[in-house]
Amino acid sequence: MSLKRRAFLQMAAAASLAAPLVRSAAAAGDAATIAWPNDVPSWDPNQRFTPDAQPIFKAVYDQPLDQDPQLKLVAHLIKNWTLAPDATSMAVELRDDVTFHNGDKMTAEDFRYTFLERIRSGVKLDTANSWKRVADIVVESPIRATMKFSAPDPTAPQWMAFLGSYIVPKQYIESGGLDNFLKKPIGTGPYKLAEYELNSRIVLERNDRYWGPKAKVARVTIEIIKDPSARVAAIQSGQADFTLNVPVREVQRFQSEGGFAAELNPITRVILLQVRADLNFADQNVRLAAHHAIDKAALSMAFYGGAAVPLSVVATPGSPGYLSDFTFKFDPQLAKQLLAKSGHGPDNPVKIGLAATNGQFPSDYDMARAIVQMWQKVGIAADLQVIEYAKYFELNRASKLPEATLYSWDNATGDPEIFSGYLLNPKMPFSAWKDEAVGGRVLKLFNIADYNARIAGYRDVERFAVEQGASIPLLQSVLTVVRKRNLQYTRYGNGWVLPQTLQWS
Amino acid sequence: MLVIVAKLVARRLLAAVPILLVVSALLFTVLRLLPVDPAAMSLPTTATIAEIEAKRREMGLDRPLPEQYVIWLSDALHGNFGRSIQFDREAGSLVAASLPATIELAGAAMALAAIFGLGGGLLLFHLRGTLFEAIADFLSILLLSIPEFLWGLILLFVFGVALHALPFTGVVSPSLPQPHVTGFLLLDALLVGRLDVFASACRHLILPALALGLAFSPAIMRVLRSSLFDVYHEDYIQQARLRGLSERQILLGHALKNAALPTLTLAGVQFGILFSGTLLVEVIYSYPGMGNLMVDAVRNADLPLIQAIGLTYCVAVLVINTVVDSLYVVLNPKLRAG
Repeated sequence: MSLKRRAFLQMAAAASLAAPLVRSAAAAGDAATIAWPNDVPSWDPNQRFTPDAQPIFKAVYDQPLDQDPQLKLVAHLIKNWTLAPDATSMAVELRDDVTFHNGDKMTAEDFRYTFLERIRSGVKLDTANSWKRVADIVVESPIRATMKFSAPDPTAPQWMAFLGSYIVPKQYIESGGLDNFLKKPIGTGPYKLAEYELNSRIVLERNDRYWGPKAKVARVTIEIIKDPSARVAAIQSGQADFTLNVPVREVQRFQSEGGFAAELNPITRVILLQVRADLNFADQNVRLAAHHAIDKAALSMAFYGGAAVPLSVVATPGSPGYLSDFTFKFDPQLAKQLLAKSGHGPDNPVKIGLAATNGQFPSDYDMARAIVQMWQKVGIAADLQVIEYAKYFELNRASKLPEATLYSWDNATGDPEIFSGYLLNPKMPFSAWKDEAVGGRVLKLFNIADYNARIAGYRDVERFAVEQGASIPLLQSVLTVVRKRNLQYTRYGNGWVLPQTLQWS
Repeated sequence: MLVIVAKLVARRLLAAVPILLVVSALLFTVLRLLPVDPAAMSLPTTATIAEIEAKRREMGLDRPLPEQYVIWLSDALHGNFGRSIQFDREAGSLVAASLPATIELAGAAMALAAIFGLGGGLLLFHLRGTLFEAIADFLSILLLSIPEFLWGLILLFVFGVALHALPFTGVVSPSLPQPHVTGFLLLDALLVGRLDVFASACRHLILPALALGLAFSPAIMRVLRSSLFDVYHEDYIQQARLRGLSERQILLGHALKNAALPTLTLAGVQFGILFSGTLLVEVIYSYPGMGNLMVDAVRNADLPLIQAIGLTYCVAVLVINTVVDSLYVVLNPKLRAG
C-alpha cells in the first residue's frame, strides 16, 4: 500500500471532519448508540446469571418464553406449554419458523441440548442450578418435547423466561467448539452480533430474517461506559443516544432540559435489610424496633427523589406477591417501646452490625449511613461495615454476616418465589435468616404446583416474615434512564431496556 | 556503541529475573492473604460448601502457600496465568487483548508530555530574568499540582461536553468498524487502509493522551529548565559565546544536548509512572486498556487477572527503564567510554 504524505493528510483530515457528520446521519434513523454500564461476562448466555447483561443477551438470543412489558408470561420460541398438575413434567411446542443467525433451523434438539445435554456435559453453567431438576427431555418431534423433572418444578415456566434460559445452537457448538461459539456467537434473536470489543463496545446488526417483529433500528452500538458521570457526559454531548443507571440528581437535571427525556422508573428490584435470627437480633423486639425506626419515605426522598416506593413486604407493587393492604408503620416511639421491653434505649443502646456495599447500587452506602442515624435515635448503635457484593455469599456461608445487611435484589419475573422464596430460604445462599419458623413455610411452597395456591402461600409468608422481624423490606428500586427525546423504547416493569424496542420518531 | 548497549540490555534482563520473581511472589502472597475465596467466587452463588471445597482442591488452594506459588509460577512460565474468574477466559489472553490500547495511549501521552515538557522548559528558561519569570514559574507549579484524572475530567467537560469538539468514549466512532491485525488500532487502521478509522481513532486518543501528557509534562519542564541553568554555568558555554556563537546556536547546539540527559532520566521514570497512570484515565474515558481491565478485576476480586495485570505493569516498567538506560548510553559519550 503506497500513499503520498499529502494525500494521506488530506484524507485523514476529511475523514476526521466527516466523522461527526456520519454520526448525525446515523442518529437520524437507522442507528443508535447506548451508553451501557457493564460488559457481558461471556457470550455464552447460559453461563453466568448477570441481570445487567440480560437485555443484551435478549437482543442476540431468544428465550423459550418471554415476558410482556407488564411482566406477564407470554409465548416466544415456545408456542404452547403445559405444566403437569403435579409439576413433574412440562410439555412444550416450539415454533417451526425459527432459524439461527447462520441459517440453521432451531428445533427441539436445540432445546434438549440447552436445558439438559450441555448441563450434563460438565460445562460450567449457572443454568445447571436453575435446571437441576431436569431428569430428561424427551424429544417427540422437531417442534415437540417434554421436560421431565426429578421433583416438582412449579416455576419452570417462569424460569423459561428468566436468567440464563436462552436456546443455543447445538449443531454449531458441537461442530465448531465452544471457543468458536464464544468468539462468534449466534442465536435466534432480533440482532446479530456484528462486533465485540472487550470492555469497550458491542455492535448489533438487525437480523432481517428474524421470525418475530423486526427491530426498528438497524444498527445498535452499545458503548461500555462504567462510570456514571461519563455516561451522563456521553449523552449530554451527543455521543450516546440513550443511557441508564445514572445518578438520580442527573435525571432531575435532565428533566428540566430540552431535547432529552429523563425517567425514574420503579422496577422489580427491592432494597431490603437481610437480617439474621441470632446474635443481638435473636430478640424479636430489637428486630421489629429496627424496622419501625426506619423512615423509608425519607430514604426514598433523599436518595431517589421520592420515586422509590416504600415497601412493607419483599415484593413490588403490581407483582403477584404484593400485599397492597398491609403496611408496616414508621413509628420511632413504638421502636423505643419495643427496645425498652428488652432493656435498651438511647442511653443504653443495643449494639449490632450493619453491612453495606459501596457502589453496588445507587446510594447504597449513604443509605446505610442514614439508617444508622435513624437507629441511633431510638437506641440501636450500629457498627457500619463495607463489604463487597461478592463477599456477601462467602460471609453468609461462614455465618459471618452481621445482624443486618443492606441488600439489593433483582427479580425480572416478579414471581414471589424469586423474592421471598429465595431471600428467606434457609437452604439458599441469599438468605441470612436461618430459622425454621419462616424457612419451613417457604420450603413447603416450592412443591405447590397450583399457581393460585402458591401465590397465596407466598403472600402469607411475606406478611408473617415481616411481622416476625425476619425481613426488613425498604424500597422498590428505580431504574434511571436518560434518552434523546425522539428515541422511543418500550418500558418494562423489570427494567429491561431492549435494543429491539428502540425506535426513532 | 551497539556492543555497550547490548551488554546493558543483557545485564538488565538478568536483573529483571529476580525482580520479577520478587514482585510476583509479593503479588501472589498479598492477593492470597486478602479475605477473598477465589474458589467460591468462580462458582455460581448457589454453589454448596461441598462444591466450593471441591473447587478449592481443583484450584490447588488447599495446599501450602509456597507450593501454590510454585505451581502458579510454573504455569506462568508456560504462558498460563490462570483463568479470569469474572470472564472465565485465560487471564493472559485478556491482558494481551487490552495491552495494545494502553501502549498506544501511554505512547501518545508520553510524546505529548515530551513536546510540552521540552517546549515549556525552553520557554521557562527563555523567560529567566524577565518580568514574566515569576508568572511562568507559578503556572508551571500550578500545572504540576493537577493530577491526570483531574485533567481528564477538565478536558472531558470542556472539549467533550461543552464544546462537543472531541469524542471521549471508546476508541473509535460507533459507526466505524474496528480492524484487527496486530491489536494496535492506529497501526491496524493503516494496514487495512481505513483512513477514516485511523482519523477517528486519533480523535478518540486526543483527550485521554492530553490528560496524561499535561499531567506529566510540568516535571519535565522544570527539570529541563534546572538542567539548562546548570549547563549554562559550564565553561564551554562561555567559550562558545567567546567564539561568537549566537544564543540560539548555544542553546540548541550545545546546552540542550547536555541538559537533555537528566531530563531523559526523569522522562524514563515518568513514563513508568505514566503507564500506571493510565488506569484512572482509561476509566474516565472508557478506554478499553489494561487500566480499565484492572479496575474491573479489582471490583470483582478477580485474583488471577489482577496478578496477570500487575506483572504486566512490572514488566512494562522494566522494559521502559531498559530502553531509557540504553538511550542514555547512546546520548552520553562518558558512559560509552566507561
